[in-house]
This record gives sequence, structure tokens and C-alpha cells, in this order.
Amino acid sequence: MAVSVLSRALRSLSLTSVGSVAQTGSLTVPLPSLAVRQAALWPAISPGHLKSQPSKLSLTLMQWRGILTTASLAQNKTDWKQRAKYTIRPIGMKKTGGRDYTGKVRRAGIGGGHKQRYRIVDFQRLNFEPGKENQSFEERIIEVRYDPCRSADIALVAGGNRKRWVIATENMQAGDIIKTSGTISHMAVSANEGDAHPLGALPVGTLINNLELYPGKGAQYIRAAGTCGVLLRKVNGTAIVQLPSKQQIQVLETCMATVGRVSNVNHNKRIIGKAGRNRWLGIRPSSGLWKRKGGWAGRKIKPLPPMKSYVNLPSMAKAS
Amino acid sequence: MSKVIMHRFKATIPVNTRNPWAESKRITLHSRLNRDNVAVHRFFSMSSGVCSRAPPQRKSTPEVFIPGLERITYADRMHYMPGLAKPTFPQWRRDWHDPHHYSGPKYEEMPLNKETPCYIFNQRTNMLEGVKQALWLTKTKLIKGLPPHVLSLAEDTTNHIENQDERVQNAIKHARFWDTTESRPGRERFCPKLLQNLLHLCRTEQVNHPALGKRILAENYSLAAFWERGEDLFQVRGKNGILLNSISPLPAVAGKEEVVSTADHVLETFHPISPTIDLQVAHTYRTKSHTGFEDGYRYPHAHTLFVMETGVKQRLEAEQLRAKLIVFAFGNALARAQAFYGPQPQVLEQPVVVQGVATNGRTFQFAVFQLNTTELGPDTGVKNMVWLEEDQPLYDYAKVRPLIKKKVVQVPAGLAGYQPETFKKFLALYLNGAV
Repeated sequence: MAVSVLSRALRSLSLTSVGSVAQTGSLTVPLPSLAVRQAALWPAISPGHLKSQPSKLSLTLMQWRGILTTASLAQNKTDWKQRAKYTIRPIGMKKTGGRDYTGKVRRAGIGGGHKQRYRIVDFQRLNFEPGKENQSFEERIIEVRYDPCRSADIALVAGGNRKRWVIATENMQAGDIIKTSGTISHMAVSANEGDAHPLGALPVGTLINNLELYPGKGAQYIRAAGTCGVLLRKVNGTAIVQLPSKQQIQVLETCMATVGRVSNVNHNKRIIGKAGRNRWLGIRPSSGLWKRKGGWAGRKIKPLPPMKSYVNLPSMAKAS
Repeated sequence: MSKVIMHRFKATIPVNTRNPWAESKRITLHSRLNRDNVAVHRFFSMSSGVCSRAPPQRKSTPEVFIPGLERITYADRMHYMPGLAKPTFPQWRRDWHDPHHYSGPKYEEMPLNKETPCYIFNQRTNMLEGVKQALWLTKTKLIKGLPPHVLSLAEDTTNHIENQDERVQNAIKHARFWDTTESRPGRERFCPKLLQNLLHLCRTEQVNHPALGKRILAENYSLAAFWERGEDLFQVRGKNGILLNSISPLPAVAGKEEVVSTADHVLETFHPISPTIDLQVAHTYRTKSHTGFEDGYRYPHAHTLFVMETGVKQRLEAEQLRAKLIVFAFGNALARAQAFYGPQPQVLEQPVVVQGVATNGRTFQFAVFQLNTTELGPDTGVKNMVWLEEDQPLYDYAKVRPLIKKKVVQVPAGLAGYQPETFKKFLALYLNGAV
């Protein structure tokens, strides 16, 4: 690797000199050390040959990116999250510092912190193994562990021929069996904590987490540590769920949800202790400039927002 | 990019880039910057371009080709033109063979590609369920502890080496302390060295038991064993350890009645998890078994397999190491049985016995595997047998520097907690078949 880096650097050096010769048009001899390196790299092209035909060379060999002293260009990939295949192995992350792909600050107050690795969490609990579609399946929990990328703990589960990470619920332990089913029957199931069912199959009043907004899209709501939602009622093929913010949403009853409360319940009770610990977590201090408190400060009493519907039912006109 | 280059070369020579037309402007800019002393300027255009977050992925829309409605491209203009389509050219292939750019055929186009997958166990396989999974794959009944005749060999003091304990401790100290000029050898160094030292000690018994001379150690041999279990195909492949071969086979451990009675044994299952978890799935494979040795090899029988766990980063846990030991001992036995009795599944007249020793440089796992049957498809019928002795430490600590906590020496420097029983079992397994 070191050799390739060195040779790339040398190549760029020598090309520079060739280009300068070509561009200025004068037949000045490049620096002696560069000439020696050039001869070592391309023994077939002697300096004299360069002098006689400079313009041809300069156009053909000008493809270079400057001196790169990094170990490997493969390390510079920015799309570390794009993967064709699922893996349970942790992936090294690149810190963004709150910047997006254009380089602009999109989220202030982010930067630094301990190095973290990303574990791909499968938010689609109803992710059938190939060849075993539409059968409810069971999985065993192998370990429950801390995840640096989220507030909740994650659990490694194994079932059939594969392993995957899921969000752990409150009382999940290694060795437990969790069930995942996609069927809605007339009777409501008596689900254990950690099981995943469609909302239509669960009894009213169940505490749920990892809620899908659209069937099959993967869980998007109620994923933070210690949170849970309540299944309030089931109406006409839809279900109404109260989120941890007390807002109510309406989703299709085929949306999957996990029963129980998300793990790491004491996440809001931890004591940061000092400013430096927030820096370890990658959170930067706010500006410190004195600002007059405005309308954002203080308690406000306002009505709950109206129920939000994620149900795209066909309109009456279309149906008739 | 050009800014960076200029910055780096500000003191040397006029720089130019790949765009020769913009050159004159750049040179004037460069000279101006040079006047203003650019040393205070820092250019991050390179680093941020290399490290930034990736742009959002574009969803590719399928292109529609309508015959007779080809889009006008800028191919004949030979430069980009707004409003004209990007030309697509057929992929260029070099018409000479360049080994540097050679890419082999796809797996799907290989003649060995098959529909049914084969599950391959190799030396890096880390099975989740450990011994339970290995027992299911090899259709084996587990018996805790070594066979009685091996234990009696271990207890018999006439078999012991002269000054056994002292010499074994010297062997350990050699591997852990005296072998290297470094302050502390790593596991990948002391583990093989300890095994070689112990084997060397065992070999000195040849004076008393001349039958030990009919053995040979084989390193780096490559094994291939193929079998069907249930509806799946399985293979044990590749290099796995050091194999002690002998001219004469090991005698069967369990008698015929005991072998027949294993038909009543029920194999343990682990329901939600499939037995094929963590095995390598391959669709391109050969369905053949080979012992790794040519026909007519003078030492055709496998005696003992020595497996070392020398990994530092990716270490096998003890449970997984035991599973590896069982599967590879089984693979060696199966390949020899199929070479001797033919590939048809059958209950063997004379069982094939292979011993196994696995170590991580401190603890030892001993196994004696007896292959009773090669009929591994159904769960019923005669099972194979394995005697397993788990987690036998040869010593507790071998410290270069003492472990001190709160100014009290917890573990002194040097070898501590030597356990002579472990080497007795090691020696007994070595002597088995020759005494």
C-alpha cells in the first residue's frame, strides 16, 4: 500500500513537470531530481524524448488528482451506509459534523465525540426469510446490547438461517423466544412482550412500539428508549394509536407493531455530569451568547393537534 | 483541487492542471497569491470533498427504448452539448489477454453450478449453537468424559515420561517465556510452540513403545468430506490443523451392542434456529470426498487431529472450538470411511475412530470420535459417538510481569497453577493404539 501511495505521489510530481514544460512552450529542462524520478518511472521515455514531443504527452498523461498521501483511496468512500446485502457486523461510520452532502451545516451543535459503529437494525419485523413467505416465525434472542447510534438497546435475534438486529423491548433477555406474525384473525391475540403483530390482531389498549406508518415500510414511530404507544381503537380497517407525545394517529390495521415498551427505560434519568460528557456523545455546546427570552419560553396551553391520518383510503367517487 | 495544488507547490515551480486553457489565468492568480503570502490560507476543498456525506441516492428510472425514436446524442460532436443526450457506447473489451484485468466467469456460468445449495463448514466457521449444532450435523451422541481405557492409560504410571511434570513445565515456560526475545510472545506464537513442545515430549516415549514410530504428522493437508443430512447437502472443507497419521487404525472404543443401542438416542434440536445457521452457503461445489492424501500413502489412518485456536481478534469461544473439533474429526473419519467402504451410505462393519485435541495455548479440549455409520440422512438409526472432555487447563497463569492490585501481588510472575492431569490425558491419547 505504501508503495502505491509513493508511486502515485511520484507520478503526480513528474507529470507536473512535464505539463509545465508543455504549457510554457519553452524547452526548459525540469528539475534534475524530477528528471531522475521520471526516468525511473518510465524508462522507455527519456527526457530527451520529452523535449522533442512535449504536447502529445501532456494531453495524454494529464489525468491525475494531485498528491494523495492517504493510505488508500478505498477508505474515502462516503456511501458507507449503502449496502446490497444485510450484515450483522458493525460498520465503521464517518462523522458528518451536521453537514449534508453539499457541505452545508444542516444540524448545528453536532461534532466530535467517540468513534461509533453502525449496526444495521432491521425495522421490518415482518421480513420473511426467502422461501418461507407468509408464515409466522419465531426467533431467539442471542444478546441484548448497547447501541451507540440510538438511545434504545438493540437485540441480536436468530431464527431459521439468519441473524438480525432489532430494537429491544423492556424485559427482553438473551434466550427468550419472540414471535412475528402477519395474520389478522377474528380473535385478538394474547401477545407477549417483544412479539410483533399487525395492529388489527392486537387487543385494544395494548402498549406498542416500533410502529409502521405504512404497511411493509418498516417501523418509523415509537423507537426511542423507554417510549410506548397505546392502541386506542380499531375502526373500519384502520387503527388509532396514541403516540408518546399524546398525539393520535390513524394507520392501517395491517401495519406491524411490537408489543411492549422500548428498552433502556432509565435513559432520561442518566446524569451527564459534566460538559465534557456531552462532547463525548458528539454534542457541541450552544453559543453562549445572551438572548432575550421570547415567545418560545414559558408554558403554553394549547389544544392537541387533530388526529393525523396515514390512511390513503380510495375516495368515494372512485369507489362508486 | 487546483487551489490545493497551488498551495502545495507555492515555493517550487509554476503549476498547471489538466485544463490547459485555464492555465494562463491560474498562473497569474498564483503569482498574485504568492505575493500575498498564501501560507496563512488553508484549503479544505480536497478534504471535505473526500470526507463529506454522500449525496442522496437517485432512484433510477428504467429507460424506454422505442425503435425508430432514437435520441440524438452528442457522439459525433465529440463534446458535451446541452440538450443532446449522452451517448452510450458498447463496452470496450480488450482483444488480448491481460492477466491483471482478468475477471473469472460468473458463478452462475460455471459448469459446477447447481440448483441445490451446499452448506460448507470450514476452519473459520463460528457456529452459533456450538456443540449442539455439531452433534446434529454429524448425527452424533455425546458422552461426557474420555473413554475408560484412555483414562486408565492416563493413570498408569508406567506410561509416564521420566520427570514428567518438570519437563512439561519446562515446555510451557519455553513456549511462554524463553521462546522469543520479545518481552511477551503473542498467542499466535506460543500456542503452536506449546503444542509442538508437548508433542515432542510424547515422541520421546518411542523408546518404550516402538509402535509409536509408525506415525507421521501432516500439516497443511486439505480435507474434503461430503454428506447429506436430511434434505440438505453438507461439506467439511479445507485446511484445519495438524493431523497425526498412523499405519494401523485405532481400535473401536464402543462395542457392537453399545453401537446398536445408540439408535434409541434422540438428537437435540434448537427449534427456531436452523442447524445450517452460520455455515457458508455455496451453489458452486463438487460433491466429492477426499482425505487430502494420495492413494497408496503409507500412513492411511487418521490418529489424532490437533486444532489450534491462535486468533487474537476473531477468536472462537470454547464452545465453538469444541464444535469445530467435533466436525473436523468427523470429516476426517468420514472421508476415510468413504474411501474405504465406498460412497454408499451404510452402517460400517468396523467403526472409524479419530481423536481430537484442541487448544488455545492454555486450555485443552479432548475428543474421541467414533464414526459408526455413514447413513446420515434420517434422524433415526445408528448414531455416531463422541467422547468429549471439556476445558482442561494445563496451567492457570503464565505471567511475564506479576499482576498487582492495591500493592498486593495477586498473581506472581512465572508459571502458576500447573495441572498435571491435563498432560496425562494428552499423553494417553497419544499412546492410545500403540500400547
